[in-house]
Amino acid sequence: MEKTLLSKRKESLTVFYGNYKKIIAVCLLILLLFVLGQVLVGNFMSASQLLLTIKMSSFIAFFGLCQMAVISVGGNGLDLSVGYTATLTAVLTASVMDGQNGNLPQALLMALGIGILVGLANGLLIAYVKLPPLVVTLAMSSILQGIINVYTAGKNITGKPSPVLQLIAAKSTGIVPNVLFLLILVALIVTLILNKTKFGLIVYGVGSNERTAYLSGINVRVVRCAAYIICSTLASLIGLLLIGNMGTAFKDMGSNYVMPSVAAVVVGGVSMKGGEGNYLAVILGAVFLQTLTNLLVALGWGDAGKWLGFGLVLYILLMAYVSDRRRR
Amino acid sequence: MNAQAIRKDIRKWIFKPETSSLLIFLLMLLITVLLQKNFFESQSLVRSINAFAPLILMTMGQAIVMISGTIDLSAGPALSLMTCVLTYIMKTNDPVTGVTAFIVTLLVAVLIGVINGFGAGYLRIPPVILTFATSYIWLGAALFIRPTPGGQTVDWFKAFYDFGSVKNAPAGLVAFGKVIPPALLLVLIGCVLWYILSKTRTGRYLYAVGSNGDSAYASGINTAKLQMKAFILNALYIFLASLFFVGQNLSGDARMGDPMTLKAIAAAVVGGIAMSGGRGSVYFAIIGALIMSLVNKIIFFANIPNAYQTLVSGLIVVAAISSSMIYTKVSHSEKNKENA
Repeated sequence: MEKTLLSKRKESLTVFYGNYKKIIAVCLLILLLFVLGQVLVGNFMSASQLLLTIKMSSFIAFFGLCQMAVISVGGNGLDLSVGYTATLTAVLTASVMDGQNGNLPQALLMALGIGILVGLANGLLIAYVKLPPLVVTLAMSSILQGIINVYTAGKNITGKPSPVLQLIAAKSTGIVPNVLFLLILVALIVTLILNKTKFGLIVYGVGSNERTAYLSGINVRVVRCAAYIICSTLASLIGLLLIGNMGTAFKDMGSNYVMPSVAAVVVGGVSMKGGEGNYLAVILGAVFLQTLTNLLVALGWGDAGKWLGFGLVLYILLMAYVSDRRRR
Repeated sequence: MNAQAIRKDIRKWIFKPETSSLLIFLLMLLITVLLQKNFFESQSLVRSINAFAPLILMTMGQAIVMISGTIDLSAGPALSLMTCVLTYIMKTNDPVTGVTAFIVTLLVAVLIGVINGFGAGYLRIPPVILTFATSYIWLGAALFIRPTPGGQTVDWFKAFYDFGSVKNAPAGLVAFGKVIPPALLLVLIGCVLWYILSKTRTGRYLYAVGSNGDSAYASGINTAKLQMKAFILNALYIFLASLFFVGQNLSGDARMGDPMTLKAIAAAVVGGIAMSGGRGSVYFAIIGALIMSLVNKIIFFANIPNAYQTLVSGLIVVAAISSSMIYTKVSHSEKNKENA
């Protein structure tokens, strides 16, 4: 009797390990980075440093959610235009808000409009014309960059975020940054939608087997297109958070988040082939990347080290997770 | 009966992607010549060749990679890295460092090809995400050795841009350069390289791997090795382009190549290279690169303000890629109709 109970417990432990293998791996990696930082730099694990890391990684995690939305529906989905979508929203809404809370609804409407338009363009080209997502979204980011260049040509970007946005994105309650509460809320909603609703089931279905999903009566193209619209709309809303955090808008404010947002999904162990989605893992991936950035900056390696480190980490993790070698 | 056969032949010819790109090219050329009256004068021709050559070289490399069924999103940053390495090693007053820089950068190019090819060929990581990752490795490495644009070059390196600007250049060489500029020579080297390769088994196997990797593998082709070779070749073409850039600008810049990636991919697609791999001709990719370059020239002549240029070129890339994709689909269904 006791024996079977023990073996059962063992079994459940293995199942637990199987399900959360990648999450455990990320946690261990983050821990390793902190230990390394403590040894190499010292004073790496202070409370203020930790809270700052959480705040910075929240923004990466939000962008990671955009990527997860398009990756989970499969078809080699990725969106490289999220950075400039956010920037465009920030730049355009800055003068609309002008530091007044009363103008926030207008800014929100604008953000939604920009997001839906960009997402629709991406989604139509990818789902209906069947162009490779990376090429489409890369071209889209150059178009958006062009629009920003045209808008800012010959004049300064004026305007400030509304105080509410600053309260959410930049301020803290006690020592806890407010943006963390937003992240927790978003994470709960996303997890509920993906695991408890029909929509989540459809997303997983389309991502894991397009053909089966199509034969069961799901309009695969519409779902893919919708994923890109959701992605761009989220990115556009994140643009509002970015301007709330920075206090002003500038031309390149979002472009540095594109690479980390993809990397966070890969580090979190979410399959690049689609059909999976685990936002908690993506958040942990974002924390890992931010900690890595902190370590590299503390070591004095700056921007070069950051991009080199991100590239190498991504390459190694792709080798570990995505590699699909031919077996004889 | 005969007339019908001829009509069928014409139909077949019209629906080849190569034909359409050739026609578009001729149209673009016509518009350019109408806009720029002195287009065919030797001086302005040399200027055009200098402006077009880097994209042509990058497109040829990209075309080979795309034919083998992969894609390289790291081409632009790889170009930047090579210019940074070249200008990092060279010292203005020591001509020998030019040789060292040349050899070291060639090795760097091969290494870049090997790293990309290992991931895409042997490990079979989806090439888009793989080269997205490596593009940041090249960017980081380039920023490491050259955080801000600059650097030194030896005098004879200018020969990759213009024989005339090298000190004490032989008069004969300078005169030769007026007719056939170095940029054209670099493109010719690229063409000869591909011509030789396309006559070998490797050249044909590249198409086999691209059109159906599994069947190619099953018929005993080492697909991984071939894709690695494609990436190494691509890196060599990027190397040729980097020689030209350093000869022209006499400096290295870690972010200068970024816009080249998308342009090269778009040019290859416009030249009839299929994104799914296995179809297209590297020579027609050159036509694609010429089309994209002429578009830029026309934009320039249309007096569009500077701020609009990123926007317009982005829109053109999207239009070019989606129209050639739709065109290929239409011609495919046309072919199926004929077979039925």
